[in-house]
Amino acid sequence: MEAVGARSIGARVMRVEDPRILTGRGQYVDDVTLPGMAHAVFLRSQVPHGRLLSLDVSEARALPGVVAVYTGEDIARLTTAAQAGAVSGMNLSPDMKSPSFHSLATDKVRHVGDPIALVVAESRYIAEDALELIVDDIEMLDPVVTYEDALDPGKPPIFDELEDNVYLTAEMAFGDIDAAFAEADRIVRASIQVHRHQPVPMECRGLIAAWDPSAEHLTIHASTQSPHMLRMVLPDQVGIPIESIRVIARDVGGGFGLKNSVTREDVAIVAAAKDLGRPVKWTEDRLEHLATAGHAREEMADLEAAVSADGVLLGVRMDVKVNIGAYPSDPFPGAMQAYTIIMSFQGPTRLRALAGTSAALFSNKATYVAYRGPWATADFLRERLLDIVADELGIDPLDVRRRNYVVRDEPPLAMLTGRPFAGVTTRESVEQAAGLMGWDAFGERQRAARREGRYLGIGMASYLEAAPGPRVPGQDGPDIMGYETAHLSIEAGGQVVIVTRQQPHGQGHETTLAQVAADELGVRFEDITVRYGDTDITPMAIVGTGGSRAATMANGAVLHASRELRGKVISLAADLLEANPADLELAAGVVSVKGSPVVSLTLAELARVASDEPHRLPAGAASDLAVTRTYDGGRSGWSGGTHCCIVEVDVETGIVSFERYVVVEDCGVPVNPAIVEGQVRGGVAQAMGAVLLEHAAYGEDGQYLAGSFMDYLLPTTTVVPRIEIHHVQTVPTDPDVNFRGVGEGGMIVAPAAIVGAIEDALRPFGVRALEQHLPPARIVELAGTLRPR
Amino acid sequence: MTDHRANRPAPGVEIELVVNGATRSAATEDRVTLADFLREGLGLTGTHLGCEHGVCGACTVLLDGEAVRSCLMLAVQARGRQVTTVEGIADGDDLSPVQLAFRESHSFQCGFCTPGFVMSTVALLAGNPNPDEREIRETLSGNICRCTGYESIIEGVLLAARRNVEAGLPG
Repeated sequence: MEAVGARSIGARVMRVEDPRILTGRGQYVDDVTLPGMAHAVFLRSQVPHGRLLSLDVSEARALPGVVAVYTGEDIARLTTAAQAGAVSGMNLSPDMKSPSFHSLATDKVRHVGDPIALVVAESRYIAEDALELIVDDIEMLDPVVTYEDALDPGKPPIFDELEDNVYLTAEMAFGDIDAAFAEADRIVRASIQVHRHQPVPMECRGLIAAWDPSAEHLTIHASTQSPHMLRMVLPDQVGIPIESIRVIARDVGGGFGLKNSVTREDVAIVAAAKDLGRPVKWTEDRLEHLATAGHAREEMADLEAAVSADGVLLGVRMDVKVNIGAYPSDPFPGAMQAYTIIMSFQGPTRLRALAGTSAALFSNKATYVAYRGPWATADFLRERLLDIVADELGIDPLDVRRRNYVVRDEPPLAMLTGRPFAGVTTRESVEQAAGLMGWDAFGERQRAARREGRYLGIGMASYLEAAPGPRVPGQDGPDIMGYETAHLSIEAGGQVVIVTRQQPHGQGHETTLAQVAADELGVRFEDITVRYGDTDITPMAIVGTGGSRAATMANGAVLHASRELRGKVISLAADLLEANPADLELAAGVVSVKGSPVVSLTLAELARVASDEPHRLPAGAASDLAVTRTYDGGRSGWSGGTHCCIVEVDVETGIVSFERYVVVEDCGVPVNPAIVEGQVRGGVAQAMGAVLLEHAAYGEDGQYLAGSFMDYLLPTTTVVPRIEIHHVQTVPTDPDVNFRGVGEGGMIVAPAAIVGAIEDALRPFGVRALEQHLPPARIVELAGTLRPR
Repeated sequence: MTDHRANRPAPGVEIELVVNGATRSAATEDRVTLADFLREGLGLTGTHLGCEHGVCGACTVLLDGEAVRSCLMLAVQARGRQVTTVEGIADGDDLSPVQLAFRESHSFQCGFCTPGFVMSTVALLAGNPNPDEREIRETLSGNICRCTGYESIIEGVLLAARRNVEAGLPG
């Protein structure tokens, strides 16, 4: 592998994960089989809104091979109804009306796919047979589908105990908004829509729950981003204390935010397993997944911008609506987006004032979940608005960006929310992207192409990503995801073990955390093992992996823990070798006296002394070579950058193709460039899907319309082009840790760049794109090729 | 239509097939898919199920050398035939050329789609040892990866193809 002394950080080290993944030896939750395990499937509602009048499961219960059938009545007996967000107190947020609900429908069904009954059988095949024997009688109610429906007092409340379908309202203001509007040369207005789409990890949800009645202990095998979250959320609902719950998660087949919640299905499976005293496995199928696992992004905003004559945003008023579906996700209710879209709107701009109102609305749709950059609509709104301002004022969109984005170390030095613009390189990324794409020369090419009947367009968008990003001065203490703890130890054989609270599901943390420790400790990369995914050993964390935070937080925790452990090793070795610690070095797992390599001790020898020969330890020395270190994020900086693309739109077919896609990125110091590039490209690909293909569509009647991969279209090799990645020189903000997250960046900014480019291509048709979803059918409407339906 | 309520024994069919070079025989219901048979009947869990309706390609295996979707086939249809799964192409701990090229190219992230891409690529390169990027993209358009944006996968196939050329295989 690496030569001794070579830096591991910054190298394209091959992933530790890959040999098992490439040979089929990965262990995803459906690959786990426990002795005596039974299989579960859910009966789900086929109607969006209705009152459950009766449910007859007697024939299903009688089918040979069926172990049990649970109804809502059974679940109400076995579990306690919950309010989403109760574990964090979020259910009690001001201006929020939290409904309580069970994991199976008890009185009503509230969306297509709402679980009504749970069948447990000796095999999945038998369980599915039994579903067909259940007879339900549901009285249909008026469905609540759109924002308008949710705000219509004539529509029935989805939760009877709440008087309407408004889950949460929020109002916030920063700066002097009235002064900004009084000063404005122009008022620019736009109403912008983002459509409902969804994360779609390739591995659906799944869970195995095993109750040990003698030990009164629950073991869960889960496909999750956050193993400890299950331990935190489940106890109040299933009546098992947290210390009696162990969660194991090995390989996880993608998440993108969706697997950062505890779902109603999780609760029902645990309740069944406890009731039956035997392991129960549930493996979600793709129809269930697409219809019920979780949707995101159904958001809209009415924007009103106070703009100067040269295109600078002075102030923005925004009214945001979020359609969060029926059952809020737990522990982070989708209502949070009502705040975060306003709070994140400013991005890298010099905006002076912002006033926002927002509402999170219930509807008869699937649960709204986090999806890769949950606040992403904020970036879409801002970047769209900048393009619209450019168009209305007749200014080049590049110049509008130059005039609006902050310059590092020039006022304003902080966002309206108080977060410092520390080390931002937005302007550098804009210039680099414009130069790479030949922005100034593009207009001529565009005109020449149009003369041939070809429609080319260019689009650009920039962003800042907090992962966790700079703190507001004076606001110390952990945010909602907490600090990051890592545990490092040296095993008897000299192997270094890192235990992380991260729950990797594609990010390669087994590789990157070991790279950081290799350099900091002076140990060979291959002598380091990263362990995760077992709550019996991993530090507590409500979120395991999410929010692009591993780069700063987990690497930072490992970096500092490594330094501390190295100090411990050197100190012990100095005592045993009777040397001055300053004269010792640790390289390739061997401590030696500088200049006298024969005077040395290996980590294995030191570990043996520490554990087996305590009498040789200096007085007061710890009898282990282990360190637990919690990291608060230090003075972390922003990730950010600029995306720029050129598209060609075929106005006859509505097909959009990418001539070139360029990402100019500032992610601090990349630990493993190949992994960084994979995160960026993957995010951009998802954005391409969001704009061109994907739609978690409902009919006006509330029926779900995208239940297969022939209806919910994902981008393939023939859709996603090569994506060029360039880096700007980063500005360090922390003395030690300048690794920054890249998980969300691609997904949050790319939709604006792509939609901007499509709009630019369609300019001859007078098109203004006020929506994010531009599939071929919509493009031919916008171009006038087909009349809108 | 089968009457599920009849208290019938599972209609076991004994089938024999060659899986990864070894003859295997096992009882299965006639309705069991090849994918479920491999995963549950034979414990070969490397073959993954991503959609169970033939779109995502995660369950791709080779049947007499041809790439097929094991979620769309019944186990009984594989009776007497040669099945190769992702577990069957490495030589002990030595990765196969396709697996090695994917590893060196950092092709994958979460790994769930990976077995399908590996098997589709093995089938592609068996028939065309040196495909160009367009051919690779067309062939692999039947496999969905949600993590990578595909570029790293394409690079992996191109690397494996370059090595085929270096090894003197006809391109």
